[in-house]
Amino acid sequence: MNSRPQDILARLKDVPALPTGSARILQQIQAPDADIPNLARLIEYEAGLTANILRLANSAYYGCSRTIGSVREAIVRLGTQRISELIVSVSVAPMIQQPLKGYDLPAGDLWIHSAAVAIAARELQATLGVNAPDCLFTAALLHDIGKIVLGGFVETNAESIAALVAAENLSFETAEQRVLGVDHAEVGATLLEMWNLPPAIVEIVRWHHRPESFPGDPLAVDIVHVADVLCVNSGIGTGRDGLSYRPAECSASRLGITVHTSETVVSRLLGGIDTLKDLFMPGTGR
Amino acid sequence: MNQIVGIADMKVSNSRDDVLVTYSLGSCVGLSLYDPVTCIGGIIHCMLPLSKIDAAKAQENPMMFTDTGVTTFLQAVFNLGAERSRLVAKVAGCSSVLDDKGLFKIGERNYTVLKKIMWKNNILIAAEDIGGNASRTLTLFMNTGRTTIRSGGSEREL
Repeated sequence: MNSRPQDILARLKDVPALPTGSARILQQIQAPDADIPNLARLIEYEAGLTANILRLANSAYYGCSRTIGSVREAIVRLGTQRISELIVSVSVAPMIQQPLKGYDLPAGDLWIHSAAVAIAARELQATLGVNAPDCLFTAALLHDIGKIVLGGFVETNAESIAALVAAENLSFETAEQRVLGVDHAEVGATLLEMWNLPPAIVEIVRWHHRPESFPGDPLAVDIVHVADVLCVNSGIGTGRDGLSYRPAECSASRLGITVHTSETVVSRLLGGIDTLKDLFMPGTGR
Repeated sequence: MNQIVGIADMKVSNSRDDVLVTYSLGSCVGLSLYDPVTCIGGIIHCMLPLSKIDAAKAQENPMMFTDTGVTTFLQAVFNLGAERSRLVAKVAGCSSVLDDKGLFKIGERNYTVLKKIMWKNNILIAAEDIGGNASRTLTLFMNTGRTTIRSGGSEREL
């Protein structure tokens, strides 16, 4: 099959929109003059989202001693950043939990990988003692969202992509680019644009395999890149693409990554993933 | 019965009906041990080479680290009745991303630590499928000690 990038991008319209007005709420949250009562009203229009926010806000993970009874209280107590993480996590979890044939990922594995990268990004930020933008966790969670669209095309072209990776020692996304004309990072960024997510998140997703080309302050994209490398390297949620990704030296050196930093972050992955799994995927196994 | 060995986990068995399997070994090290006379053995899947990175974590789950994990694993198969001199040890994993500059050498370090421990314990490594940039699945059949590696869509004996 000769897929052209425009055929692939045309498939984006088949992906369910970010459900229940979440995108509109996220836009509001990112606005510098975000108005809490207004935000709470927007969220309360969405019954499912409201229930999830209250459930999560009252979970041990967020460690509040007193019961949170309203969305407004949840926003005040957890802060808008945590609330936006919750909204994105709740909204995309069912989409990235599906099996992905093209990437050979059984149900749940893309979610595990995404959660692992989000945890790793947060741990890297803490270990390095840097102040990354608020959208770091959300961008990390969404970094591979393009795979849900590109999976079918990768499946049809699996042999050519694998052959190219093997013959030229290419990184998997470079082989996707060569065979399909577009890679999962670009497809993901385009999808998030369609969902009207904030540009800061869209650009991190777009450049997460090529942080050297990132336009602007690269701190967050460097963290997501290294977090992704550490999770792929550890084999967490890897599929057909295996470990065929190339770490960018510029990110490692800008962040000052040492063996100790990377091993510290990896040692904290499993506990973090279990917590997120309990929160967002109650009742799932493996 | 199929027994899945998770990440930072081990399973030991003396039941010939068991098949032990561990998925997605990247930089992690997978080690299978098998005593062909008693049909006792197991698999461990360790993430990181040295427990000194987080002593509290190592205490809570020694299997996360190759140094504490492999020692615990050996003790567990001995406790079940395996004989050191008969143990057949096979290793898989220790791979890496396309890390031309050697920035993330966790797999290589896992392998070095494993070899040291096996040498100290006088156990030879009978077979290994390590390194490169593959993600591997290691399976041990407890009835015969047969081990297989599945990687990149194909399966082979180890």
